[in-house]
Amino acid sequence: MSRRITIDPITRLEGHGKIEIFLDDSGEVTAAYFQVPELRGFESFCIGRPAEEMPNITNRICGVCPEAHHIAAIKAVDAAWGVPCLPAARRIRELIYHAFFVADHTTHFYCLGGPDFIVGPDAPPSERNILGVIRTVGQEVGGQVIACRRRNHELIKELGGRGVHLCGALPGGWAVPITREQQITFRRYAAENVAFARFSLQLFADIVLKEPSYRDLVLSDLYRHETHSMGTVDSGMAVNFYDGRIRVVDTLGNQVTLYEPKDYQEHIAERVEPWSYLKFPYLKKFGWHGFVDGLDSGIYQATPLSRLNVADRMATPLAQAEFERFYDTFGLLGKGPKGRNLPVHHRLATHWARLIELLFAAERMEELLEHPDICDTNVRQAVAPRAGTGVGSVEAPRGTLTHHYETDERGILTRVNLIVGTTNNNAPISLSIMKAAKGLIKNGLCNDGILNRVEMAFRLYDPCCSCATHALGKAPLELLVRRVSDGALLDRISRD
Amino acid sequence: MQVVIGLGCPYLTDDGVGPRVVRQLLTGDELPGVRLVESHAGGLLLVEELAGADRAVIVDALWDTRRVPGEVLIAGVETVTRNAACGHDCSLAEALAIGRGMGIPLPPDEAIHLVAVVAGDVATFSEQLTPAVQEALTDVCSTVLKLVQERTGYPDGGNHA
Repeated sequence: MSRRITIDPITRLEGHGKIEIFLDDSGEVTAAYFQVPELRGFESFCIGRPAEEMPNITNRICGVCPEAHHIAAIKAVDAAWGVPCLPAARRIRELIYHAFFVADHTTHFYCLGGPDFIVGPDAPPSERNILGVIRTVGQEVGGQVIACRRRNHELIKELGGRGVHLCGALPGGWAVPITREQQITFRRYAAENVAFARFSLQLFADIVLKEPSYRDLVLSDLYRHETHSMGTVDSGMAVNFYDGRIRVVDTLGNQVTLYEPKDYQEHIAERVEPWSYLKFPYLKKFGWHGFVDGLDSGIYQATPLSRLNVADRMATPLAQAEFERFYDTFGLLGKGPKGRNLPVHHRLATHWARLIELLFAAERMEELLEHPDICDTNVRQAVAPRAGTGVGSVEAPRGTLTHHYETDERGILTRVNLIVGTTNNNAPISLSIMKAAKGLIKNGLCNDGILNRVEMAFRLYDPCCSCATHALGKAPLELLVRRVSDGALLDRISRD
Repeated sequence: MQVVIGLGCPYLTDDGVGPRVVRQLLTGDELPGVRLVESHAGGLLLVEELAGADRAVIVDALWDTRRVPGEVLIAGVETVTRNAACGHDCSLAEALAIGRGMGIPLPPDEAIHLVAVVAGDVATFSEQLTPAVQEALTDVCSTVLKLVQERTGYPDGGNHA
């Protein structure tokens, strides 16, 4: 019989992220949890600083999503100080943001998610990586991945002032406009992005969807469980990464709520567990019922998959066609409430959803660069700090990102709260790992292949585990299998 | 051209030692043919920073409780392949292999040096280094300058502190 599970808090020494799986005496999985390390004192570090510094501070707390924090932060400052962003500046922010999405989603698919399918889930870890992908599908593809990252980072660098930690955001505006020469170059970049996104979707179709064993893996019950879905939508209920209202649909596709980001506290509460530094957000309407999924649970996901699940459509034509193909493949197109799609709950489909978002981001860049006023030079305005409260929200690649600031009359921060993409997914990640682990680990038997298939349930979320602290000597992920009765370590995988 | 990359978050106590070294070097004598940059992530992003350089020094914090905070170590790519990995794409060694495979001009392994500074705290938000690391800062800068000024580097790529 299982004993009460106790998990010690993670220490810095043990790495960035940690999955712990607990087995009972007969070797069956009783629980599985995902943990990230504690970072101390962010709020007190920020309080007392001018709010306009936040875009340049928060873009360095995460090594992977600096652009998401930069944009969410400046939107929060805009809101706190009551400064609507100038239209030309907003287009530049959006353009940069979509270039970031293209680079980020590309990297995830080819470096992290794709290798499980392109190289194979049971391949040795030394081959199951981007180099293995290149060996399998050809050097040419590797060159395209590098080129895609390079051109989008170049755009971000030119408009953001710096390639690594962009610094272009100003309250109500942006530091520099787009020149005609840049417009021409960026149009080419955007067209190349669209072509690359289409190529990637075709690759996914050829390698995953046409291969029965992979298709079965995606459709298997092992990686399927039902949670509610969250995402940002525009006024036409299409996916939007930069701005809009937050829509939540339940496991059956019914709209639970549609709210302005500033009202997030009316809809979202955060559960604190004594064994985890990361909170567990849940929907207030349903309440917290523990680590359970289903219609009555308050647990929701905020991922590429959930963004498609909440939307009625995609805002660009090629992405819309892929969106329809996606739901049609699962037999869910138009089968939901009011003729909408039923939500997809197969977690591995998140990889496919990510590629559809990649195509949307590329198309959106093209649209923005065709705007007649894209080179409008009116991108800066005089701004007076004031006392206020502001919430800035964007869809980060890993989920809805919310920055919430309060300032005094001098514009100095008096309160800061952040809900980052991965925090939204804290509970569903644990649920996905548990589902996969229960299905795969029998009689205590686990090996590298089995544990990798468990890790696939984690990897599809591409969680961001406080990437800023990447000091040498720590592995970004550890997977530990323990006996629940005494906590003895039965197996361990550490991925660099 | 050489590049010195200060890797780390400047707001997480000793994790910021890399950027601090770069900032300190920027205030000193001009270093012809040396590019000084701050960065925050390993893997492919680091390779993009290395592009075009024929020699590189990467300065980062090292979390190793067996060592004393402030201790400085020098290592080569081949001895510490886990260093400078990005959890969201790949290790430095993989990223270098991809980059070279794609024809990106990158320094050879033996021309990439990692200067690691043993950290005392990398989990508290602060712009202040811990006293031991602060004290080591001048030494770290000297070590980096020495590496930059000698063209041969350490042929064995091992630890020399």
